Amino acid sequence: MKKSFIIVTVLIFLISFPDAAFGHGVDIEYQASKVYKITASYDSGEPMSEAQVIIYAPDNPSEPWSIGKCDKNGNYFFTPDPSQQGTWDIQVRKAGHGGMIHITAEENAQTSDSTGFTTLQMLIMTACVIWGLIGTGLFFLGRRS
Amino acid sequence: MKRLSVAVLAIFILALVAGCGGGGNNTEKGEEQNSEQGIQTGTLEFRANGEDFVRKGFTSKDGWNITFDNIYINLAEVTAYQADPPYDAEEGGEVKAKTQVGLEGIHTVDLAEGGEDADPVLVGKIKDAPVGHYNALSWKMVNADQGPAKSYSLVIDGKAEKGGETIDFVIKDATEYKYTGGEYVGDERKGFVKEDKTGELEMTFHFDHIFGDAGMPADDELNTRAPGFAPFAGLAQNGKVEVSVAELKDKLDAETFNNLKHSLVTLGHVGEGHCHSEILSE
Repeated sequence: MKKSFIIVTVLIFLISFPDAAFGHGVDIEYQASKVYKITASYDSGEPMSEAQVIIYAPDNPSEPWSIGKCDKNGNYFFTPDPSQQGTWDIQVRKAGHGGMIHITAEENAQTSDSTGFTTLQMLIMTACVIWGLIGTGLFFLGRRS
Repeated sequence: MKRLSVAVLAIFILALVAGCGGGGNNTEKGEEQNSEQGIQTGTLEFRANGEDFVRKGFTSKDGWNITFDNIYINLAEVTAYQADPPYDAEEGGEVKAKTQVGLEGIHTVDLAEGGEDADPVLVGKIKDAPVGHYNALSWKMVNADQGPAKSYSLVIDGKAEKGGETIDFVIKDATEYKYTGGEYVGDERKGFVKEDKTGELEMTFHFDHIFGDAGMPADDELNTRAPGFAPFAGLAQNGKVEVSVAELKDKLDAETFNNLKHSLVTLGHVGEGHCHSEILSE
C-alpha cells in the first residue's frame, strides 16, 4: 500500500513536472526576417518624401494589407508576412504621381530559434530528476522497513 | 522490490513521453494559391477619366481659371491584359500576357460630360472577360473620321478667365498616339474580374500637364514642363482662339512647342501611373 502510494505520488508529480519545473526560467527567442527597403523617387531623382505606401498581400491582392508612408528620403521598410508566399505588390504615390513595384517573397525568408531546450537536453534532465525521485523514495522506504 | 523496479521503469518511460511532448519546431509554410481559372467569366468595363481638372476646372500655372465645355478624345484598340510579368512602363515594349481582351471599334468620348461629380466616362464593356486580374492596359488615340472630333484625335474646348478677361479656346490635335500602362495606380486597386462580377480599368488623362497647376509649386517638374495657358492666350483675337497643334509649331517658340508636344505625349496615364507612349503619326 505504501509502495503504491509512493508510485502514484511520483507518477502525478512527473506528469505535471515539465512546465512547473521551469516556471522561473528564461526563454529568449530570435526571429530573422527579410526586410525590403523600398526607395521611391521622381524621374528627376528627387525623393518622394512622405509618399503614401499601400501594400497588397498575395492572399488578398484587392484589399490593402498595410498602409504607410515613406520617410523624408523616400525610404520605406517592408517585412512580408512569411506565411504568405507569392507576389507582394507595393504602390507608392504622392501628389498625382505614383507607381507600383512587385516583390516575390522567397520561401524560407524567415528563420527562428530560441533558447528552449533540445530534445536531448530534456531527456537528460528528465532522467536526472527521475533518478533523484527514485532515490528519495527508496531512501524513505528503507528507513521505514 | 522487483515490482517496484518495473513500476519505476514504466514511470520513467511515461515521463520521457510527457517530457518530449512539448518539444519540436514550428515551420512556416506558404499557402498555395489557386491559379486555376477555368472558363469563368465576368464583365470588364473600360472608363476614361479627365479627373477633377476637367470636371471642376482648375487654375493654370500662370493664373488662368480654366473650365472645359467638351474634351473629345478618340480611342481605338483599347486592350486589357493579365500581364505576366507585370508591365513596366518605364522599360516600355510589348505587354506579355496570358490573357487579353479588347474593345472593338473606335470610341469618341467627351471627358467633360456630366457634372462636377460625374463618374469617369464609360467607354465600353466586355461581358465575357475571363476572370483574373487585368494589370495592364493599352489604347490608341486616333483621328476620328466622323463626329465632333472629326479629323482629330483630341479636341479641347474650354474657357479661360483671368483678371476680367475671358478667352474661349479650342485646341485640336491630329497627332495619333499609343499609350501602354501597367497597373492602375490610385486610391482603389482596379482590374479584378470575378465570376459574374464587374471589374473596371481606367484610362486617365492629365490635362494639368498642358496647362500646369497653380496648386503645385512653380518649380515642380509638372509646372516647369507645362506650357501653361499664356501661350494660347497670346494668340487670341476678340476673346477667341482656335488652333491646331500643327499650326502651333509656327506660332509658339521652340521650347514652348516642345513642352506642348511632351505634355501631349505624356497625357495618358493609368490613374497616377505613367504610360509608355509612342507617336503613331503626326
